[in-house]
Amino acid sequence: MATEDQKETPVPDASTEPRSPEDTGDASGKHGTAGELYGYLAEYDTPGELTEAARKIKDAGFTEFDCYSPFPVHGIDPAMGIKRTILPLIVFGGGFAGAVGGMLLQWYCNAHAWTWNISGKPTWSIPANIPIAYECGILLSVFASFFGMWALNKLPQVWHPLFRSDRFSRVTDDGFFLGVEAKDKRFDAEKTKAILHDAGAIAIEPVHFDPDPSKKVMPKWIMALIVASTAFALIPFAIAAKARNSHSSEPHYHIFPDMDFQPKFKADTANDNFADGRSNRSELVGAVARGWLEEDTSFYDGLTAEAGGQWIDGFPALYPDVPNIVPALRGTAFAIDKKLLARGQNRFNIYCTPCHGYDGRGMGMVPTRVQQSGGSWQARNLVDRAGTVVQQPNGQLFNTITNGFPPGMMGYGAQIPAADRWAIVAYVRALERSQIASADDQKGSR
Amino acid sequence: MSTAEATAAEHGDINEPGKARETFRAITRDVAWIAESPKPHKAWLVALGISMTMLGIGTYCIYKVIFTGIGVWGNSNTVCWAWDITNFVWWIGIGHAGTLISAVLYLTRQQWRVSINRSAEAMTIFAVMAAGLFPLLHTGRPWFAWWMFPLPNDMGSLWPQFRSPLMWDVFAVSTYATTSILFWFLGMVPDLATFRDRNAVKGNNIKAAIYGLFSLGWRGSARQWHRYERAYLILAGLATPLVFSVHSVVSFDFATSQLPGWHTTIFPPYFVAGAIFSGFAMVLTLLIPLRFLFNLQHIIKQAHIHAMCKIMLATGMMVGLAYGTEFFIAWYSGNPFESFTFISRAFGPFWWAYFAMVSCNVLIPQFFWSNWVKNNNILIWVLCIFVNIGMWFERFVIIATSLARSFLPSAWSYYHPTRYDVGVFVGTIGLFLTLFLLFFRFAPVVAMSEVKGASDEAHATGKKGSH
Amino acid sequence: MSLTKTLHPDEKFKAGKLGSNMVKAGVGLFVVMMVISLILGSMHGDSMKRFLYAYVIGWSWIATIPIGMLWLVLLHHLCRGRWTTVVRRICEVMAAAIPMVFVAGLGFALPVVFGNKTLYYWTADVAHNALLNPTIVHKLSWLSPSFWFVRYLAYGAIYTAISFYFWKKSKEQDESGDPKISDTLRRASGPAMILYAFTTVFLSFDVLMSLSPKWYSTIYGVTFWGSGNIGAFAALALIVLWIQRNGRLVHSVTEEHYHDIGKWMFTFTFFWAYTAFSQFMLQWYGNLPEETVWYKYRLFGDWQWVSIAVLVGYWAFPFLFLMSRWTKRIVPALVFFAVWQLVFHWLDLYWTAMPNYDWTTVSHGGQTLVEGPLANQIALHHVGFTPLDVTVWLALVGFLLVGIGRGLTGNLIPVKDPTLGLSLAHEQL
Repeated sequence: MATEDQKETPVPDASTEPRSPEDTGDASGKHGTAGELYGYLAEYDTPGELTEAARKIKDAGFTEFDCYSPFPVHGIDPAMGIKRTILPLIVFGGGFAGAVGGMLLQWYCNAHAWTWNISGKPTWSIPANIPIAYECGILLSVFASFFGMWALNKLPQVWHPLFRSDRFSRVTDDGFFLGVEAKDKRFDAEKTKAILHDAGAIAIEPVHFDPDPSKKVMPKWIMALIVASTAFALIPFAIAAKARNSHSSEPHYHIFPDMDFQPKFKADTANDNFADGRSNRSELVGAVARGWLEEDTSFYDGLTAEAGGQWIDGFPALYPDVPNIVPALRGTAFAIDKKLLARGQNRFNIYCTPCHGYDGRGMGMVPTRVQQSGGSWQARNLVDRAGTVVQQPNGQLFNTITNGFPPGMMGYGAQIPAADRWAIVAYVRALERSQIASADDQKGSR
Repeated sequence: MSTAEATAAEHGDINEPGKARETFRAITRDVAWIAESPKPHKAWLVALGISMTMLGIGTYCIYKVIFTGIGVWGNSNTVCWAWDITNFVWWIGIGHAGTLISAVLYLTRQQWRVSINRSAEAMTIFAVMAAGLFPLLHTGRPWFAWWMFPLPNDMGSLWPQFRSPLMWDVFAVSTYATTSILFWFLGMVPDLATFRDRNAVKGNNIKAAIYGLFSLGWRGSARQWHRYERAYLILAGLATPLVFSVHSVVSFDFATSQLPGWHTTIFPPYFVAGAIFSGFAMVLTLLIPLRFLFNLQHIIKQAHIHAMCKIMLATGMMVGLAYGTEFFIAWYSGNPFESFTFISRAFGPFWWAYFAMVSCNVLIPQFFWSNWVKNNNILIWVLCIFVNIGMWFERFVIIATSLARSFLPSAWSYYHPTRYDVGVFVGTIGLFLTLFLLFFRFAPVVAMSEVKGASDEAHATGKKGSH
Repeated sequence: MSLTKTLHPDEKFKAGKLGSNMVKAGVGLFVVMMVISLILGSMHGDSMKRFLYAYVIGWSWIATIPIGMLWLVLLHHLCRGRWTTVVRRICEVMAAAIPMVFVAGLGFALPVVFGNKTLYYWTADVAHNALLNPTIVHKLSWLSPSFWFVRYLAYGAIYTAISFYFWKKSKEQDESGDPKISDTLRRASGPAMILYAFTTVFLSFDVLMSLSPKWYSTIYGVTFWGSGNIGAFAALALIVLWIQRNGRLVHSVTEEHYHDIGKWMFTFTFFWAYTAFSQFMLQWYGNLPEETVWYKYRLFGDWQWVSIAVLVGYWAFPFLFLMSRWTKRIVPALVFFAVWQLVFHWLDLYWTAMPNYDWTTVSHGGQTLVEGPLANQIALHHVGFTPLDVTVWLALVGFLLVGIGRGLTGNLIPVKDPTLGLSLAHEQL
């Protein structure tokens, strides 16, 4: 199947064209009357012969000549006397400018114009700035190399007298040509032809400029088109620049609104629903969130009900029937059972052991570390028979857990719900019992 | 037999009149006919149909992602990067083989690269295009993507945070895309001139004009070739550190973090080796069928395929060495989070991904030791698909498993992709294949001028019997 | 199709007395410098700790040269290399110095096995203290003197086996001219390269990275190898030049080959900088104390000047100048940079190893324990170059010369290698 397609595209084949060393097809014939002579174009059979011919031409003192081939011919540069190009220097300059520019950009943006404090790190941190400076250096080197090369080669140049030669269309396929320009000082029609012929040319033809002088320069309409399209292409950027640099009281465009407009009142906005016209509402004096009334002073404060109350000695009688108590316990009688103690142990282990230790003796991890660093602090021993904690009423212990014991202990009221705090109290008492139990410690509810 | 004798046996004496030029014409013809055949190859049309369907699916999924939001993907608070970034790294990695073939094989004077470098460079550009979609989409509000560039603005001129690896990515990937396009175009100019001249001779004036415009008026002048070669060498010399830096910068996205499994110093060279590994697999995935269908067997020779298999084996082993080193150091470091991460990768909930990764990246390339395998193109093609699957899983394992089992156990979760994750990925494959197929039909798919320049006939001197 | 050339008819390629001259010079250098070093070392008053540190650094320097050359030999065979053939025999000889290098290494390895506790912290008794060293205790099965020494011998054995195999086969080809030997070596180079890679990585972990046993870096092996190759190619340039100065291979090795050696030096300068920067930048950026501690002791205080010297001297300056083709083709320029890079290679190893020298003590539970390297106050962390560092280095250079000189016999060029013609005709693009 593939070969069929190959056969469908006939290609001008060199073997079918008549070739002879005397063939001096004149390019001017096809294009009407001849214009000024550009020079002579000689074709050679192999890259090696082209190189030799080039050497002969160079040795004969010609400078305005060039070789043309479908690929760069090895060894032709010294034969033609081509000097090394300055492109590497241009690239080096580009790279240097890019790297420095990249560094400067980052310094300006992040360390000068608007310095950001990112967890106290240096605002100009060179190690973090290297990747971008490196990439900028490479990018500018690449631009210098690419655009520099085309500029040095004076390309694009889409017309050239040699394209008027039919033979020359083979230069990108299999043709090897040498073109000597008439403007060279040593050019002489017959002598030049002779040198080319002696070097083994299989064809030599004169090439002429287009007789119409206007065809030597780029048609005006192309230039107009380029200028116009460049100008048009800049319009969007101009619009964007104007927009970026002007102020507007119009709201921003929201291309995809998503959740940008939400049906709620934001803080500090106007609001017609209220007499004072504000969205911000102040707290109503005496307002309490539902379930947060906390009337039961024995449960929530550990105090007896009357004014100037005492710390309660035992435990509260009931769990209040309010939403901020766990549903299973709401309104039930306060029972000191295994479940309560297990809960108390669980909560104690989480919140209290870092300081007080698992045994309640006051040497948890925190005091241990303090002492390792050379300090000498210890948390309160909760189970010392002679200590304050064993002696004090449950309500006071509850209060300590809730409000803390300055300066060493913070209050846990915000973290531990009241029911759990009572469970911790029960567990502490159990701990104490475990550490200091003796035969005559069989008191009642303590 | 000396090499001169071998050449003579194969080609006849290249110094016979017209003999060398015959070879050059054959090269031109063998490559140009693909673009010049009036009707495209049936297989090409079928492939294009499939790829455009995939592209269509992807377009719809991308529309959903932009208009509805990132929520249509399976990403969660825990596994915040998943298919999106896996695909990004996968595509960029694939692109690197093209640059390696163009640049590094040029610098190391490996002549065999000339048959594949044009297609490989094209593959790079299309892979980078596919890759670039993902960082763009994963921002969530891609219409603000211009915020990533240091453009003066009315927010006090709020500048980007250049110290972030994600910003380094922006610069690295754009530099890479630009350089690849410029290098590819540079190489194509002489071949586009060939197309211009062939069309001009046949009288196809419009085609000739278009190719003429893009070939910038190239006429094969030796003085211009000199500067062109120099630019080519310089670009190759620049592209080499560039390709190393791009994938290193991509690896910095992970390695600069503190996440176990991400934060490790070997990532830059390990990612680069992995990129070359998967890239070569993709080159072969594309070129083995195309070479068969378009009769390019004597330009893209079996020896070249051999060489590519060996490179895959070498880079696969480098990846394996990195796996081994990481594993060892995870234990050696005494960091319990590191060692946990590596055990969890192999035995945790993503064990199946880990298994896929190791078998495809370490075990499958072992087949390439065998010469029998290296001569069996269909088997090579299958193995290359597995290599690419394995490299996809490698990125997935690194990204998703490390995130899913990070420092905070309460945050641990699993990850499920959604149809939009899959759809966007399928769409990028479709984009890549569509662009590549279009390239194959309309552009010079082999660097004709370079193949001619590398051939024995390029040294023909015209003196019979000499060499 | 490239051109080929044949060996110049007047070419001298037999080593003759070259090898034995080198051995004599090496023995002399070694004996003199080692005696001086031992005296200086005992005068230091730290039970030879400083001597051992200088020894490890000097040894790493002489080890990386044959290791790098072995890599070039394997790469040449793996990739059907062409230009390297002219110098390959010299590379093989340099690689075959490895067993002598590992014998030299016994100078620091045997003390470790026999109870030295001052070189490596993991040999100290306190390393077993789980409270002080939780990240060391678990790996003491790996970092135990006996297992470490077994691995040391294993690395030496593996390198020796590979280098001798390739050298032997290459010399065989001198006799028979059998092209099949090239194929055998090409097939062997693949597995050999894999073995080589793992060995090199783990050697660097064992000898140098474990000097700071609480620190780790997965790229360490690659950095070590990259830096080592700079020195290896620099040494190759100098040795080939010396051989040419002595009248051998005058026509065979041209500025084209020196250009390529220079290119490799440039490439590895860049590659080492890339890996070293990756390691630095990632550990700096992640800011994890267990990793940054290593850099803390190298970027502040006295050591910052050494760091700057390494950055500028080992990377920036050579990188800038080795870019140009002329520094690589004009022999005096190449020689300058080869010597420069060899010196800075040593400085890089010094920078890697020596900050671990200062160990500090800490009071713990009433005891005074040795907390190990990288634990002092930065202000007390001095660089303190001493002549001992240089004399030990020179002594070991002498040992390396002995190792290389022993192999420098017979043909200095693989005379019947099929790719020799291409290598002789080698030209840059």
